Amino acid sequence: MADHSSDSHGDVRIDHSHHAHAVSSKLLAGIYFALVVLTIVTVVLAKTVDFGDLSLLVAVAIASVKSTLVMAIFMHLRWDTPINNIAFLSSVIFLSLLFLFTLADIFSRGEANYIGGQPVGLPG
Amino acid sequence: MSDHKLVTPTPAGFTTHEVAHHFESAEQEYQAAKLGFWLFLATEIMLFGGIFAAYIFYFMNYQSDFQGAGATLNWKLGALNTLVLLTSSWTMAAAVRNAQLSQKKQMLINLGITLVCAGGFMVVKYIEYSGKLHDGVFFHIWEPVGHYAALQDLEFSQLFYRIYFTATGIHGVHVLVGMVLIAWLMLRGSKGHFHSGFYTPVDLVGLYGHVVDRIWIFLFPLLYLVP
Repeated sequence: MADHSSDSHGDVRIDHSHHAHAVSSKLLAGIYFALVVLTIVTVVLAKTVDFGDLSLLVAVAIASVKSTLVMAIFMHLRWDTPINNIAFLSSVIFLSLLFLFTLADIFSRGEANYIGGQPVGLPG
Repeated sequence: MSDHKLVTPTPAGFTTHEVAHHFESAEQEYQAAKLGFWLFLATEIMLFGGIFAAYIFYFMNYQSDFQGAGATLNWKLGALNTLVLLTSSWTMAAAVRNAQLSQKKQMLINLGITLVCAGGFMVVKYIEYSGKLHDGVFFHIWEPVGHYAALQDLEFSQLFYRIYFTATGIHGVHVLVGMVLIAWLMLRGSKGHFHSGFYTPVDLVGLYGHVVDRIWIFLFPLLYLVP
């Protein structure tokens, strides 16, 4: 199917339909710098501050920021088509379901662990 | 469809890419490959998601044992490996940019640095693994010696180490696969196969490498710095 962006040379047609989107070197270096800083923040916080019950949340939150930077810039998702964004987003949604029901399991066990006053199964 | 051969624009000195006959345009070919790859990446995220779910479940139940077991890992080596992988991600992203701009030499250099970083990551991993095996720590913990001796007093330290070896083992295999793919890119790249008119393989291997990096971004704080 010919389109406006093709030139013909005999049997061979040159197709100009695809245009590359190159990310600037400056932005790539900036993201790398941010990732290294966040790695240092992760280590320093883990070694110096006690967040108590929120510690897992803090660790995962910083990792999520790093992960998002890699995805949006290094993986070009910020400039990518909606369908590729949806493909990725679907994995996040289903993963959230898995984590949600795992957490629901942990927090809703309570009395169910005791049958006839005796502890059974996990968690001990 | 026409009988014409469809090719992408080829800068001087590079090999021409012919669009596969079942695609209408170069753009359609590129987008089809990319969507397929994103779907594959989604399955990769689900694979590691299952391991993370196991981690969350046992971490919530046996947090102090996990902290004790995690403290026997060398967080400095983990941090070093994080920096090594972040660097490889950066040079990989730069290599994709080079391919898009038909900068063959810079692309090969950046791919080379990426390959060396991935190799360095595996060397550090080897040092960690061999030390643990030597001191009696693997999926099964048997008579641990040295600073691992403390593991014997932690009822659920073995659970932690099973998750550790499963997660980092599968991750390590992914790094090895990535190294093979990058070597393949360098081989084809040196023949001038990748340029502004065609760079899909460089782009897709790049995406794969970044996902492997992103998984490590989560593994490092959860395993080496147990919250």
